[in-house]
Amino acid sequence: MSIHLFGIRHHGPGCARSLRRALLDLQPDCLLVEGPPEADGLVGFAGRAELAPPVALLLYAAAAPQRAVFYPFATYSPEWQALCHANAHGIPLRFCDLPQTHRLGEQPADESAEPDGVREDPLRWLAQAAGYGDTETWWDHLVEQRRDSLDLFEAVAEMMGAVRSAALETMTLREQRREAWMRTTIRAAEKEGFQRIAVVCGAWHVPALASMPSAKSDAELLKGLPKEKVAATWIPWSYGRLTFASGYGAGVVSPGWYHHVWEHGGAAGLYWLTDVAALLRKHDLDASSAQVIDAQRLAETLAALRGRPRAGLDELLEAVRAVFCQDNEVTLQLIRRELLVNDRLGEVPVDVPTVPLVQDVQAQQKRLRMPVRADTVPLELDLRQPAHLDKSILLHRLAMVGVDWGSRQVVRGKSGSFHEQWQLAWEPEFAIQLIEASVWGATLERAANGRAVERAAKSENLPELTALMEKVLLADLQAAVAPVMQRIQDAGAATPDPGFLLEAVGPLVDAIRYGNVRGTDTSALGQVAVGLIARACIALPFGARALADDAATVLLRQVAGGDSAIRRLQDQEQLAGWYETLDRVARSDQSHPLIAGRCARILIEQQQWASAEAARQLSLRSSRAVPPLVTAQWLEGFLDGGGTLLAHSDELWALVNDWLMAQSADAFIELLPLLRRSFAGFTGPERRQLAERAASSGPRGRVVAFAGDDDIDRERAMRVLPVLRTIFGGAAAQETP
Amino acid sequence: MSASPTTVLRQHAEAQYAAEIEALIAFDSRQRPPRWKMSPWAVATYLMGGKLENGVEISPKYIGNPRIIEIAVATLATDRALLLLGVPGTAKSWVSEHLAAAISGDSTLVVQGTAGTSEEALRYGWNYAHLLAKGPSLEAIVPSPVMRAMREGKIARIEELTRIPGEVQDSLISILSEKVLPIAELDDEVQAQKGFNIIATANDRDRGVNELSSALKRRFNTVVLPPPRTADEEVRIVQTRVAGMGRALELPGEVPALEEIRRIVTVFRELRGGATEDGKIKLKAPSSSMSTAEAISVITHGMSLAAHFGDGVMRGADLAAGMVGAIVKDPVQDRVAMLEYLETVVKERSGWKDLYRACRDVMN
Repeated sequence: MSIHLFGIRHHGPGCARSLRRALLDLQPDCLLVEGPPEADGLVGFAGRAELAPPVALLLYAAAAPQRAVFYPFATYSPEWQALCHANAHGIPLRFCDLPQTHRLGEQPADESAEPDGVREDPLRWLAQAAGYGDTETWWDHLVEQRRDSLDLFEAVAEMMGAVRSAALETMTLREQRREAWMRTTIRAAEKEGFQRIAVVCGAWHVPALASMPSAKSDAELLKGLPKEKVAATWIPWSYGRLTFASGYGAGVVSPGWYHHVWEHGGAAGLYWLTDVAALLRKHDLDASSAQVIDAQRLAETLAALRGRPRAGLDELLEAVRAVFCQDNEVTLQLIRRELLVNDRLGEVPVDVPTVPLVQDVQAQQKRLRMPVRADTVPLELDLRQPAHLDKSILLHRLAMVGVDWGSRQVVRGKSGSFHEQWQLAWEPEFAIQLIEASVWGATLERAANGRAVERAAKSENLPELTALMEKVLLADLQAAVAPVMQRIQDAGAATPDPGFLLEAVGPLVDAIRYGNVRGTDTSALGQVAVGLIARACIALPFGARALADDAATVLLRQVAGGDSAIRRLQDQEQLAGWYETLDRVARSDQSHPLIAGRCARILIEQQQWASAEAARQLSLRSSRAVPPLVTAQWLEGFLDGGGTLLAHSDELWALVNDWLMAQSADAFIELLPLLRRSFAGFTGPERRQLAERAASSGPRGRVVAFAGDDDIDRERAMRVLPVLRTIFGGAAAQETP
Repeated sequence: MSASPTTVLRQHAEAQYAAEIEALIAFDSRQRPPRWKMSPWAVATYLMGGKLENGVEISPKYIGNPRIIEIAVATLATDRALLLLGVPGTAKSWVSEHLAAAISGDSTLVVQGTAGTSEEALRYGWNYAHLLAKGPSLEAIVPSPVMRAMREGKIARIEELTRIPGEVQDSLISILSEKVLPIAELDDEVQAQKGFNIIATANDRDRGVNELSSALKRRFNTVVLPPPRTADEEVRIVQTRVAGMGRALELPGEVPALEEIRRIVTVFRELRGGATEDGKIKLKAPSSSMSTAEAISVITHGMSLAAHFGDGVMRGADLAAGMVGAIVKDPVQDRVAMLEYLETVVKERSGWKDLYRACRDVMN
């Protein structure tokens, strides 16, 4: 009976290759691998074609899926090779790390406090000490040449013994427990009568497993561990998440390069350079085969100059820089992003035991031919096509349960509400969110419905609810429509604030319009909208009274937004009621002047008020008896954002202009500061247009074409005139200055 | 050629550093490419400096990132040519001369590129007297440095490659790719011997340069020589070179104190970068390039002023004239930039009063 310890480097292709060879030589009858024992049942999937690395074992607390741990594997991870070996040869394999059952229960704070010192990748430190930029090169140099693979791991064990005795860090309790658990598992395997036990673990742990303390002391250490119910599954992982830069402690610098090293062994450099050339050509940069040859030779010469047996990544990058990039950092960035990381996503077969929701989503993705990818992919949808509509619904439903796979983009250059543009990027974490969302239902539709209803129940805020309603309709969640609508009605009844009611109308009106495109039944929705409008109409005359100035400013926007929404609805009955309400607000002395002014403006614009009535209100509001501040606010509300309108609407212009002209000199001087204040909100060109109109021809003057800030080159301007004359006929030429 | 080595104004690199080259050749046991005087490793050591295991000290010729020199040497060991690129005064020619000296033991096979450089300068010309008297023959040919380098398997250098007109540049293509120089008139050719290669230098700041054709660009490995990264590095470069030049020019004055060198380097770096070294004050950047090479010549100029007209110790006043001359190339804009710099930075700095006064004197 013998125990063989294989200290490995996580995600090291050279190491993986040595391990594979060593296992073939050794023919162990039991494999123990550093990993979570809860995942023992999932080992069988490794090595099947459908489970394509990079993948990760996901372990999560069944009660709270957001507390989760990942164990990522690439093809070139030694652990993965051990799994494949075990499955190919029918050898029992067990994970021997401290179970997550005992670790997830700890306070999450401990997780982040784990120091990432020498322990994470002790070989990296040794490589750096030896003057290498990259562990793989050093490993290659030091290890790959050796023939006897068993000896190699003995050397690693010896090296780690030296590092561990020299390391100053003290072992955390958790670290001690993990190693105690590993030893306990080894003892158990021995007891079962296995003859050749191979233990694959991080190089760091080898010395601790080589010298076995008494079983009793380990049992002592493992006493009283916390417990938590844990579930495990395979999920697809990405190379981007394997990088050191992504915050993964045992990560590697360039997963893409390691992929090459694993695939092509000694010829990796050449294959990699060919890929560089292909990539550059794809981006329309010169890259010939002759240059590939030259780069290869340069890299090899550089390696020889530095006394290394083979060109590593450092030499290749430098050669690429000199040969292809003209020593230019920008081109190199491209290579870094696309070839060094080479973001790719693994695949997981559908029959991996996981929550039904995840399976449902996978099935839908397959049905709609939407494969998940790690890089960002644009997607353009025309909702008039049923397949596109389904895709849109899937994306909206996923967003409802918190999986933001697609982000909506603003549609450019296309009209109509039936176009949607998305950017898709799948993050491995979405797997957790889906598991988390399982509490709301076993299928995506049910989960999204459940989530929508829950959000509706929790929300008291009317605009939030109507926005939710819009999303519910976009995601075609029929079952949630009624409960959400009920909530809107309830909240509407309970909301005293007309502003909220008006704000809520906007999304509803939009939802009704989308519904037409998507073929959903929106008649019920229309009733809700009508109900809200009716409530708003009743509440507004009172809601506009006794307002603080800040609140009035907010209400001003809400009234303006509500006005445009109600007009979009194109329901004459509602419109009439709305205008009546505005009329009451505008005429009431008790309304906040800002709101009253705005209401008056809307009524004039929509020709509900005759000019005479408007003129009367204007002079009434600016009478001497009215406090100046009130007049100013009324004017502000009246003119707010309407500079262009004032300049171009003859009616409005005449109204304001006549009123101003009628003021006596004294009254005008008194009004002047207030006017200034109102006009200050207009933009420069607007003010200039107004001034020009006022200057040009008295009360009935027409607006003058805006001439811009610079002097006109008369000669050049004249050249345009014949064309304009052709377009407009003779009159245009005379009018233009 | 018969002039004694001690009286020439500037010795070739292989003569000036003959001792070092000999020591390296003697010590070097690594594999050498054909016709190389030493192995690539030894060439890199010759340029970067260091101490050999037998105790011989090799002075550094290039101070900066070793990666640059390693790539340059490795390139020359393959059959691709080397293009050194950089702003003026970043030691391009200096590096190329020393590379040629170390590899071939001969840095004299140079073509100076100008707008008037003709094909004859790169290929071959004719000795017309010979041609008329005896007709076309190999003897009537006047070989260019490139042709000689091909015959002898040495390194040829082409200075300022981008100043050479494009069509003349392109005559290098067949030399670089086929390693053959055809002589159509004689139905003959010169085939390059092993060890032949070309080092070209080019300036990427110059206006009116002839951009390399992509066919030619493809045959060069490019190495950009950056300006010194830190003030300390630049001070070291200036100090080493000034000490060397002082010996060569037989200046009687002492080697200036580190403080003086640091001052010049600081002034040049700050004006070049458009901000003070502490990053607190923004400055107008003059149009002049203010390279490390110019800092070196300002100091040697100051040393000779101090030696011949002063007490031999270089002070602010000795530096001012050379410094102002190096910075103010445009009489209006650069002058404004310099005056502003003097008033806002130099005047306020403690211990720089003498430099301020001397510069003001020069500028008035």
